[in-house]
Amino acid sequence: MTATSVPTASAGSATGVTSSHSAPRVRIRVNRLVLYTVLVALTGLFIGPFGWLVLTGLKNPAELAASPVHWLPDHVQWHNFADAFNLIDFLGYARNSLIIALIYATLVTLSSAWVGFGFARLEAPGKKPLFGILLGSMMLPQLITLLPTYLIFAKLGMVDTYWPWVLWGLAAAPYLVFLFRQFFAGLPQELEEAAIVDGCGYATIFWRIFLPQSWPVLSASFVIAFTWSWGDYIAPQLLLSTDRSTLAVAVMSTYVTTAGTPVTNLQAAASVMYVVPILLIFLIAQRGFVAGMATTGLK
Amino acid sequence: MTADQISSVARRPAGAARKTGRVRAADRPRTSMTARRHRAFYLFTSPWIIGFLLLTVVPMAYALWLSFTTYDGISPNWRYVGLGNYSELLTDSRTWDSLGRTGLFAATSVPLSIIAGLGLAVLVNRPIKARGLFRTLLYLPAVVPPVGVGLAFKALFDQNSGAANGVLTLFGFDALGWLADPYARYVLLMSVLWAAGNIMIISLAGLQDVPRELHEAARIDGASAWRTFRSVTVPLLSPVLLFQTVTGVIASVQTIMPLLLTPDGTTAGVTALPQSNYLYMMHVFGQYFALGRYGYASALLWVLFVLILIVTGLIFRFTSGVVFYNVDPEAKK
Repeated sequence: MTATSVPTASAGSATGVTSSHSAPRVRIRVNRLVLYTVLVALTGLFIGPFGWLVLTGLKNPAELAASPVHWLPDHVQWHNFADAFNLIDFLGYARNSLIIALIYATLVTLSSAWVGFGFARLEAPGKKPLFGILLGSMMLPQLITLLPTYLIFAKLGMVDTYWPWVLWGLAAAPYLVFLFRQFFAGLPQELEEAAIVDGCGYATIFWRIFLPQSWPVLSASFVIAFTWSWGDYIAPQLLLSTDRSTLAVAVMSTYVTTAGTPVTNLQAAASVMYVVPILLIFLIAQRGFVAGMATTGLK
Repeated sequence: MTADQISSVARRPAGAARKTGRVRAADRPRTSMTARRHRAFYLFTSPWIIGFLLLTVVPMAYALWLSFTTYDGISPNWRYVGLGNYSELLTDSRTWDSLGRTGLFAATSVPLSIIAGLGLAVLVNRPIKARGLFRTLLYLPAVVPPVGVGLAFKALFDQNSGAANGVLTLFGFDALGWLADPYARYVLLMSVLWAAGNIMIISLAGLQDVPRELHEAARIDGASAWRTFRSVTVPLLSPVLLFQTVTGVIASVQTIMPLLLTPDGTTAGVTALPQSNYLYMMHVFGQYFALGRYGYASALLWVLFVLILIVTGLIFRFTSGVVFYNVDPEAKK
């Protein structure tokens, strides 16, 4: 993903050299000035909303109510973060989010690898149309199918349990299946041939030979699925009661006074604490994450 | 090793010794090898096939059945009404209004996101210093979960404490009620554009796949930078852009962001939506959760589902002559 720096970079490095006489050099320099100004401005614009959320979380209520906007807090209210932690059972909700995300990400990664292996290395009549359905199902509007699924889960008594996430995990996710399929299809044929001659079943071949080879995809898939689940708002909002719900739901709806008015600064602080783990996971796992995104996005 | 056990059970009759199975596998005639492969294929793909049937096909069929009834989850006297719900939704002005708004939202947010994402990709694909840092920072908002996006934009566009009104008053303009009518739609649009880094990253991967010879050839032929972009880069990126258009339309049709921008983000909050953000899906939510009209709401869902299929089909149809596949996607990896 990174690098592949093209040789035209020489045009860029030329700006460092002092050459005030030749006109093209000056033009290149001005161009680069414009380029960097645009880049910095755009980056500021993109980071701005999140920066403002952090600032909001560091103000006191009076500053938030002040009429010409109070740009910076007079006294940085670090304790807002601790207060946000204590006003609601933040850790309890975070634990619920974590449990659901771990259950889902683990199961869906394994099931998608399993299904991806089938599509990559095995043949059977009906494979082509099935693969077509798999690709098509990536484009199914999930929110539309979620609403009737919710009614069915309610009928089966699975509301307020984590069973829906277990089932979704076992059912494999088309995006991740495709990710694994692409990876497994690229491995050499000899890998399983020797094992087949030795009489190994395909499950053994998958478990012993293919899975250990696929750490990069496994971790990418796990991170992607984890962030899906951590970020999901509507499914836990529908399926779980307030106490058993996830951090996403709690941050959105529980930061209110007894009178029902939102506690804006604490909510902002809480949402920062809710978002930051995902940003950190992304920054740590950046390469695999982005490669995964690119693979599924390209098809 | 449960997976192995499952496959062993599926592969040979119960009780067959492992040893004999092994011997047979080696001298088995070709046909049974093939049969084994076929069985294995279905064994491996079955979690997805079963999951797809139970968690997608069955719920959608259930919704179709409900859409012909007055089911509300409480009243035991619900009954079959045929196409009654469908004829009701056709005469409900909110259906048409919200559908029009949703269409407008998709028709603006998707092209703008793609233009923004593509523009950013071209910008950070240039040889610049700290390229990785710029890419990361521009992409980062795309990882922020919806709840974070909603709260960030509510803070940014708050009537009193929002930075947007701060800037307006700084330049002598009046503060605006951004989160109310008629401005809420622009906040919604901006919240979607904030994630343009997503398209940037995907386009960037595509840009790096563009063979360099093509750019060099264009330069030798004396093509301008814009001409090269239009005639070389964009056609080569067209499969990526098509995919982004389709997924973008589907995502914008079912976005819950209007809900997250209300003071109370719960499904009960649909009643507090400003008119300009009352999209079709919000109409469905209102009927589903605020009123519990599952039958009627299911009819609304099915109409949307069919419309999405039609629109997706039309997009593929109208772009089939325009999209250029450089490599066979099957043979690519």
